[in-house]
Amino acid sequence: MRAVHYLNQFFGGLGGEEKAGAPLEVHTGAAGPGKLLEQLLGSNAEIVTTLICGDNYAVENQQSIVSAVLEKVREANADLFVAGPCFQSGRYGMAAGSLCSAVQAKLGIPVIAGMAQENPGADLYRDTLFIIDSGDNAAKMRDVMNRMATLAKKLLAKEAVGLPKEEGYIPRGLIRDHFVEKTAAERLVEMVLAKVKDEPFESEMIPTAFAPVPMPPGVKDLQKAKLMLITDGGLVPKGNPDRIQSSAATRWGSYTIKDRADLRSEDYEISHGGYDPQFVRQDPNRLVPLDVMRELEQEGVIGELYDEFISTSGLANPLSNTRRMGREMAEKAKRLGIDAIILTST
Amino acid sequence: MQLTLAIHPITEIRFGENTRLDGTVLVTAKDELYRLASQVPGIESVDFEIVCPGESCRAGPIFDIVEPRAKAPGGSPDWPGILGAPQTAGSGTTHVLNGAAVTLLREESPGESRGVTGFVLEMSGEAASASHYAQLNHLIIIPHSKPSLPVHAQQKAYRLAQLQIAVHLARAALDTTPELTQQFDLSAAENLTASPRVAYVGQIFSRQRKPEADEPILYGTDTEGMLPTLLHPNEWLDGALVPSYHTSLGGAETYFYQNHPVIAELYRRHQARELNFAGTVATIASADNLDRERNTRFAAHLVKWALKADAAVLTKFGGGVPHTDLAETARLLECNGIKTAVQVTDLARDRRVESALLFNFPVVNAIVCIGGNSTQWKLPAVERVIAANSALAELLAGPFEIDSHNVIGVANQQGASRLRSMVY
Repeated sequence: MRAVHYLNQFFGGLGGEEKAGAPLEVHTGAAGPGKLLEQLLGSNAEIVTTLICGDNYAVENQQSIVSAVLEKVREANADLFVAGPCFQSGRYGMAAGSLCSAVQAKLGIPVIAGMAQENPGADLYRDTLFIIDSGDNAAKMRDVMNRMATLAKKLLAKEAVGLPKEEGYIPRGLIRDHFVEKTAAERLVEMVLAKVKDEPFESEMIPTAFAPVPMPPGVKDLQKAKLMLITDGGLVPKGNPDRIQSSAATRWGSYTIKDRADLRSEDYEISHGGYDPQFVRQDPNRLVPLDVMRELEQEGVIGELYDEFISTSGLANPLSNTRRMGREMAEKAKRLGIDAIILTST
Repeated sequence: MQLTLAIHPITEIRFGENTRLDGTVLVTAKDELYRLASQVPGIESVDFEIVCPGESCRAGPIFDIVEPRAKAPGGSPDWPGILGAPQTAGSGTTHVLNGAAVTLLREESPGESRGVTGFVLEMSGEAASASHYAQLNHLIIIPHSKPSLPVHAQQKAYRLAQLQIAVHLARAALDTTPELTQQFDLSAAENLTASPRVAYVGQIFSRQRKPEADEPILYGTDTEGMLPTLLHPNEWLDGALVPSYHTSLGGAETYFYQNHPVIAELYRRHQARELNFAGTVATIASADNLDRERNTRFAAHLVKWALKADAAVLTKFGGGVPHTDLAETARLLECNGIKTAVQVTDLARDRRVESALLFNFPVVNAIVCIGGNSTQWKLPAVERVIAANSALAELLAGPFEIDSHNVIGVANQQGASRLRSMVY
């Protein structure tokens, strides 16, 4: 088994902060903590190449470092790429994270990193990588390396990886299913009893905090503004030409309303399994208010209405889908010079 | 209020001359059941099948699963508000054919958004081992409703036929001594002043859809205009409630109202003197923001002032809207000093924690999360497929991929599920 190891200038033995500008160096064989790693990976493992780079250089030249490292790992014909452990060093963690994620994505070999939970690299890359929680104490090197080597061996053998607290990696924010002995009801009552008695309990899910979306500035002159209608209520032309799924939709469509005074029920159907569609079926304008928008257009309250409306289905849709679709819709609106959008939901 | 369950274990169902108990064998007669079902308005004809645990058999789509139970004379009626007058359920003696189920099939696929197969009953293999229903002996009812019947009349016919047959079967046990009896009585352990008072708040419907005309849910009413209401736990167990015709993600069945996992667990710990079961509130998920405000506040208010609870556990009925209402109710309870734990279903189809919850209230931090989105099975071809018509039988013939949510019982929302989301 051939491994490539990435270290910063300090752990690679080049020097301290005064060497943070050092460019990427390539060493044959293991160096610094890599010797310990090689030993822990087992007798048939060899660290064939150690890549060492100054922290500032790596962060300031991220693109060129990534391509250089990819090249070296490819040349080394490596089965495994390891970075760190970086402990609390932020620049080191950022470099290690970006390199691991590039090697994993481009070369498809197992990668492993080590960082403290607080390291900004952990924050950025925890969902794509296995990052062993190194804590902030470099004196624990042997212990950290041991967990990195153990998990690396599992990844190489394609064995099932256990939970974060079993393997020692930073939770990735992903979910998998387990079948457990206790029913949901038993777990529920047990949890509330612990809570009411002020005893520790383990919630099975963790809420996510989202950054607030700032209120955009108001439309300066509505009489000159170009408006657009977007809905997540699943209104689509008869036949659902874009095959927008009625649940967890991955697609959205844009449909003409050019020269139409309103939407007629015989032209549309609803692809959405999460609400009672009978009223929209009777009158699609109650979801996509074209009739009212035309009146406002005629009265001169608004400048003009863009001649297509956008639609998708907003049922049980995970954020990874909706974030992408939202971005795509926003890009389209921006390209078209839309000033304001009315979003209607169900 | 005292309820006695007279438990008769059933290890086999068999067709014979008439309906009777032969030890632990439930014998029944097709023609007798046929006469009963064909008297229900809207039913043109009906077929019956028997399936047993471990059999290479699959049935679907499932309308509902009911445990055969019958009330002994002198107590509350069978299925008040549906089969009889809407008198209070939950007192007297109820005979239970434990280990048996009456399971009715739908005649149509529920459609794309919930999976075209609908809920499938799987009796063998890996998927079966994840559902309690695979351990039961089922009498399967395959209805053939009259053509061009409106949906609400068809579903009502299903409901009536299934409950009547379930009661009819259990009446065979009325004169038989049960193997054991179980008492459900909150006053039985009254000196529990030192134990925390724990309430259950359960959603029974979601107003994302209008109930069908004449749809019985609570004592025969359709819950339209209903405010959250106090129920004695025995009412849930003894016939006050059936689920809506509209299926909810993961499922809620009559069987798990009769054997309500949350209520059973609260009773068990009440009898073990670990808590003081304060009572329950039945509530509904809302249609809009005003409805949400009203329902969540009424539910919290009842838990605080009528039940005087120290703690509450909450379950939902359905998907996203019920999820947010559940969380808001829990938040209001916590703000009133009542500790909560909530049970949610798996909404994260991308398997990411950020997609899993529709709330972020620091006080609502005790969360049971039923997983399911990363559990699929490849169901093999089986020896026996039971469905209402050949098109549905073909759909279920296998092999095909199925999500855990569509194997009935696996991701159940009433507390029966053994699935758990693990964060990694």
